[in-house]
Amino acid sequence: MAKNNSMSKALVRRETIAGYAFMLPSLIFFLGFVIYPMVQCVFTSFFDATMNREDIFVGFANYIELFQDKVFLGSLKNTVIIVVVSVPVTCIFSLWVSSVIYDLAGPACSAFRCIFYLPVVTGSVAVAVVWKWMFNNYYGIFNYIGTNTGLIEKNINWLGDERFALGCIILILLTTSVGQPIVLYVSALNNVDQSLVEAAEVDGATKFQCFWKIKWSQIMPTTLYILVITTINSFQCFALIQLLTSGGPNHSTDTIMYYIYYNAFKLYRYGYGNAMGVVLAIIIAVLSALQFKMAESK
Amino acid sequence: MKKRKFMALALSCVMVCSLAACGSKDTGASQPAPAPAPAEKTDDSANNDNNADSQTPADTSADASQAADITLWTYPVGSWGDAATVSGMIANFNAVYPDIHVTVEYLDYTNGDDQINTAIEGNQAPDLVLEGPERLVANWGAKGLMVDLGDLWTDEAKSLIYDSVQSACQSNDGVFYEYPLCMTAHTMAINRDIFEAAGALQYLDEETGTWTTENFQKAVQAVYDYGQTNVGAVYCSGQGGDQGTRALVNNLYGGTFTNAEHTQYTADSEENIKALELLKSMDGINFDASIAGGDEVNMFCNGTFAMAFCWNATQEKNNADQGNINFDVLPMAFPTESGTPQLCGGIWGFGIFDNGDPAKIAAAKTFIDFMANDEKQAVESVKASNFWPVKDLGNIYDGDALMSEYAKFIPYMGDYYQVVSGWAEARTAWWNMLQQVGSGTDVKTAVEEFAATANAAASAQ
Repeated sequence: MAKNNSMSKALVRRETIAGYAFMLPSLIFFLGFVIYPMVQCVFTSFFDATMNREDIFVGFANYIELFQDKVFLGSLKNTVIIVVVSVPVTCIFSLWVSSVIYDLAGPACSAFRCIFYLPVVTGSVAVAVVWKWMFNNYYGIFNYIGTNTGLIEKNINWLGDERFALGCIILILLTTSVGQPIVLYVSALNNVDQSLVEAAEVDGATKFQCFWKIKWSQIMPTTLYILVITTINSFQCFALIQLLTSGGPNHSTDTIMYYIYYNAFKLYRYGYGNAMGVVLAIIIAVLSALQFKMAESK
Repeated sequence: MKKRKFMALALSCVMVCSLAACGSKDTGASQPAPAPAPAEKTDDSANNDNNADSQTPADTSADASQAADITLWTYPVGSWGDAATVSGMIANFNAVYPDIHVTVEYLDYTNGDDQINTAIEGNQAPDLVLEGPERLVANWGAKGLMVDLGDLWTDEAKSLIYDSVQSACQSNDGVFYEYPLCMTAHTMAINRDIFEAAGALQYLDEETGTWTTENFQKAVQAVYDYGQTNVGAVYCSGQGGDQGTRALVNNLYGGTFTNAEHTQYTADSEENIKALELLKSMDGINFDASIAGGDEVNMFCNGTFAMAFCWNATQEKNNADQGNINFDVLPMAFPTESGTPQLCGGIWGFGIFDNGDPAKIAAAKTFIDFMANDEKQAVESVKASNFWPVKDLGNIYDGDALMSEYAKFIPYMGDYYQVVSGWAEARTAWWNMLQQVGSGTDVKTAVEEFAATANAAASAQ
């Protein structure tokens, strides 16, 4: 018996070592490219750090400056607008599309999934170039259709007018954001226990009641995941801004991510940029925690 | 059991390999230089004998037995962004210096700065870089990252290279961080066909390529009245091509961007305010925050605009070669009250990052000396840029009608103020200011805000 125990311990130890060995490459990657930069980011945020000069410890000065910086506060406001608009719209739109297409015949459902997923796998630069052409002030398709149908009197400078620029960015962001939630929702809806739905229908439940009382609760984990991922992606909106507006006009499309990039890579203010990064990370963490909490309470 | 062990081993190998692949240096964009030229004469090396004969290295250059591996990162300065052209020039170099191996990486203006800054932070900066004084001198030089090239600037070199270029290649305390190769004067251009049809050619001097501020207004109005409602655009979505908008504003009433000492931004002068107010009031001139210089060039070529403020010889050459232009382009200096335009110049040359290896620094200097000073190679190096030499090399574009046409603008090259401190922040503040003006902010208020931001950035450095 004792012999068996020692053998099983050896086996467990060997399997444990093998398990850690398999994890090691990923662990090295995770420590090197996630944990270390995170620690470094927090550490550097307390310094006046720039290129080719010793860092100077400044305590919380970067954080104090942040909240006196009008451009940063404007960027924070723009980022919050993007999140507040795009997260619910993305979730509601993708849930609606998914509920319509999930029980279609295989090829039709796949075709829709492909169509909505295409902008996700298309490179940001290609997406930005096409949208820039469509929004063009002089010969863009939106102005062409708008003026020819009488919807608008004269051409609108969509990306060059601060009244419209942020809305245009949100619109583009939506097209690139809905693909993944649709695929996830289609999959989740297909996994809903059909016996429960059928039982409810036999008991006289309407389609809406079936959805709200049975399907919705079963796809809640997926919804939670989508909410968290979409929130994070919206907070990290950068490529579209960089490629289309550079934060303009008049800082109306500046986001925190773009302002971090501008300070860190254009002005070489690494400490200040890192302080913004820390603030952004805290906001995202708090919001994600709230979303988890709300989902748990339901 | 053996099968499982084998599978586990194989999977481990795959994971380790993939990790190694992720960590390997990305050399995808790198174009390895040709191997050192063979000692025995081939047809090519015979052709290059003239290079060897005419080689006049500076005192600091090592002899032909010098050996080092160096890296050159080049921005797309004409054909210096083209691998075939650069490889040919490096082959010439290796015919004389077979043991100096040059690896080239080609940058673009969108990501080039980020690539170099990332490399600097990772202690992987290139040995050589080809760009202008605003980066080599005012940015990396001022940060103490570049090698002092004073020994390449011999008395002979100083006597040959134009004074304005010399002053741009050194820091305020007189340290040379750039050895120049070529230069150009940025112009504007008009669609001659539209101007002719609108009867606006009478307002400009086609021969000298100049016009007065008053005639510029009349010409724009004539083109606008003709039906071309988008005559030109003060583009301001980003910094691309911003020298055009600066030159336009500064020239109209004789304003300046900085003081003569390059220590203070003077864009809030009365002349500049008057110029911006004039542009804002003109029919046909749009302040457009959705386009930058490159977009403006495309829209000029496709006929959307009748004039471009972001223009030079290379723009015309490249767009003509690509078949983008189907009208007669007339290059013009920016309009002035005085009749003497001050064009914004572009200067490009080599700088060396101080990577702490004397052998590489010496090899890099040898490379610069060969490319910029060798009697035959210097002409080829300059012609590859599609710009003009920074010293008298004779008429290197003899028979080239396009380059001869643009050569008349070189004497109008104005002060190279881009070496002023706080340049990166000031550039951004400039197009932000234009956006404010375009959206209706009072010109004086916007310009004063710009000057305050830019001067604060200058004094912070």
